[in-house]
Amino acid sequence: MVNAQLPITTTPKYNFPFSEENICLPQKFMELSISSLKKLQPIQPFTESMATSLSTTNTCTKYQKNCAPSTKLFKLEPDRTDTSIVAIDVSSIKLGETKTGILLAVRGAIVWKQADSYRYLRVGPFPFHASEKNKDKIYNRLHQHSQVAHNQKLTTFNLQYIQTRLTTLLERWIQASINQTTRNSLILWDGCLMAGTPETPTKTMAQLLAKARTNGNVILAFSKMTRLFLFGHRITDLVWKHPPPCLVLISNYSDRAGSMHLLGNLYVAKLTVGNCAFRLDVDKELAKMRAIEAVKKLLGNDLFQQSYPETLRLAHIFSTFTANEVLGLQRCIAKESNLKIITRLNLRRLLFGRFGKGSDG
Amino acid sequence: MRLYRKEGLNVQIISFPNEEVAKGNYLVVEDRETGRSLIVQVVDIQYANIPGILEELLRNYNGDSYIKGEDLDPFEVGNHIEFIQDARLLICKIRASNSDGVLVSANSWLPSRSRAIVKPFPIEKLLIQVKMHEVYSMHLGETMEKKGLCVDVRTLDGGLNIITGKKGTGKSHMSKLLTLSMVKHGAPIVVLDLNGEYAGLGKDVDGKPNEFSGKIHVLTPGKNLQVTLAQLKLGVMLKILVNALNLPGTSAREFRRIWSFLQQKDGLSMSNLGEAIKNWKCNQHVRDALFSRYYTLLSSRLFTDNSAQATSLRDALYKARVGGAVVINLRDISTIGRHIVVEYVLGKLVELLTSWKLRAVFLFAEEAHLYLRETYWDDIVTRMRHFGVFTTFITNQPDTIRENIYSQADNLFLFNFTNEHDLETISRASKADAETVKSVVRDLPPFHCLALGKVVNDFPVVVRVRQLDVLAMGQTRLFFSERNS
Repeated sequence: MVNAQLPITTTPKYNFPFSEENICLPQKFMELSISSLKKLQPIQPFTESMATSLSTTNTCTKYQKNCAPSTKLFKLEPDRTDTSIVAIDVSSIKLGETKTGILLAVRGAIVWKQADSYRYLRVGPFPFHASEKNKDKIYNRLHQHSQVAHNQKLTTFNLQYIQTRLTTLLERWIQASINQTTRNSLILWDGCLMAGTPETPTKTMAQLLAKARTNGNVILAFSKMTRLFLFGHRITDLVWKHPPPCLVLISNYSDRAGSMHLLGNLYVAKLTVGNCAFRLDVDKELAKMRAIEAVKKLLGNDLFQQSYPETLRLAHIFSTFTANEVLGLQRCIAKESNLKIITRLNLRRLLFGRFGKGSDG
Repeated sequence: MRLYRKEGLNVQIISFPNEEVAKGNYLVVEDRETGRSLIVQVVDIQYANIPGILEELLRNYNGDSYIKGEDLDPFEVGNHIEFIQDARLLICKIRASNSDGVLVSANSWLPSRSRAIVKPFPIEKLLIQVKMHEVYSMHLGETMEKKGLCVDVRTLDGGLNIITGKKGTGKSHMSKLLTLSMVKHGAPIVVLDLNGEYAGLGKDVDGKPNEFSGKIHVLTPGKNLQVTLAQLKLGVMLKILVNALNLPGTSAREFRRIWSFLQQKDGLSMSNLGEAIKNWKCNQHVRDALFSRYYTLLSSRLFTDNSAQATSLRDALYKARVGGAVVINLRDISTIGRHIVVEYVLGKLVELLTSWKLRAVFLFAEEAHLYLRETYWDDIVTRMRHFGVFTTFITNQPDTIRENIYSQADNLFLFNFTNEHDLETISRASKADAETVKSVVRDLPPFHCLALGKVVNDFPVVVRVRQLDVLAMGQTRLFFSERNS
């Protein structure tokens, strides 16, 4: 008689929490941060390009259509099978300007949801002093140590993009670490599965998704804002009349826009009653039914507020910088690095007075 | 510390957690370029209004264990964030400004916010600046910086002092300290001791005679304080009858006749007085009124016909003239009895002072509302200080002292109060602003007082009253501790 072998698999418990040793990037972040703050160059004359405000770019905007897109509605039922959920979010903030560059800080947050409790790990904050002199060095050094972005040819970039690049780099780094250490879980990302940008090459994103598949994870990327339109409507408005929870799959939407490449299937998720629906990207290589099952499991295992999963909401809350933290970081930099934050003239205010809106410059 | 804001007499200073500042501390706001400085006192400590603090607290609250976590913070930025979070706002009052070493009360000067240096200003330095303790030094206790605080005993001279605070905060202790310090400097003291607390002043904690043993004269009515009518003047007796025993005017007139009659016969005694009232030809109602007062006088046990038993208050006061305290022990005496004794003592004092047999006397009156008649309050504050009676009231019920008395007090020693009504009452003292009094007094620990007035040259100072090596008496009798012991 053959003893029946029970199908024992690792329980999601073993994914939780993941050890700090797995995060090798922060060490490099720390070293670079120190070196960026310490290796100050002699004061350089101020250039106009430095004064321009830093703006984030939304790369997930428009794709050219090559055939008529279509939609398919899936009604969802929560699947309460015990499943671990991990959410990742990264925030950055400009702390001020020095005479030679800008001071910024980056921080990541990972939140695990299991059973009825949440657990978080905040990575950072990492303060940086980026100047024209050291910006490439910072970025290249970090890239070299990235687990996901090697062999990538790096080009010189404008100082104003350093904040976005460092943020994305840390985010990808944390995502890679979680991918490696997590099994059979739902991994929630903030944003979309767009690749082909300098900080997220297509290969990098493809590797991240492949690793997730290998480890039995499903990456669900929620975008809070989308500029994608279909039939003349914003895609998130397509589901307004459908009772939640539901998912709308948008097929045949072009996945390429210049060098950028969407590596996920495009969905609109309306998961709870309310006015909100979100763009949801799920790995294209994953069977559609698997993606839908993953969303069902998410529904059955997490709390939702306005269709947004609580785990991801917490990740955002824990990564974001409060005004108090900005003051603390400024103090830390002033004390440890002797860097002096300067206040530049707000030209808009200066020129237009009360009519001068927007940030400085 | 950084100067943040100034509005009128109020100054706000930002202070950080590594800076030790407490309510009552003095700070100096120095502007070295102009050579001027402001001397301010901390009257309240609040949290600085840090932007984003609410979000920070909400995010990091994990009391319900709904969410737990940790931070990988290699730069230890968290310490800096906490440092900012715990920043405090010191609410200060300007006490003086210093221009080239001279203290002036002007406060219109505005120090530079960017240049001004804010640092602690030790109280002893403040007292040196105002040249306080030179000859008549009196050690009151410790300042908040744990430095000894000495004041000039002469600042208590010729004035009205009030010691007040709730039960068990150290009022009587302060009163005893002042008594002994003044005795040490040769001042004559009369203590109206309601609870028999001052009887141990002449003994150390072990009950052995101390350096004051020969200078403390405890007089207990009915025991070692008894007087013959011959020792009394008619005026004093009439004050007792009218003020303490409410004898009507008509009866007082008859009493005056009886007194003169007995005096002429050289027969002033309690027994003769009783007989005289009994046989005196007068209205029956008057006789009854006189009799009732006579029996009250008898029951007070203050009076005796035995001249050998009689005490001379005058002699006791003479002994105290060069430094000593006459303690009138009012413990275990009825309310009427207390009134009689106090009228007698005060009458005798005024008699000796008006005839310049005594130069001046310092009167310490514990819970005076229990034995002082209504009209005496104004007398003490206005008239009697001109005779040389300088009073110190000690009470735990501040509303028993009239508002006008607070405003005329020269020195106030305020111990802890928590009751809003009491704080409101004492805040009317003109020696300091209401905000200072309320805020500082509310947080005073036991045996700490806020000294106001001449004694600290109008710089409110928090003092930890020093210990005394005297036998503590008059403590609350406890039921459980006795049963256990």
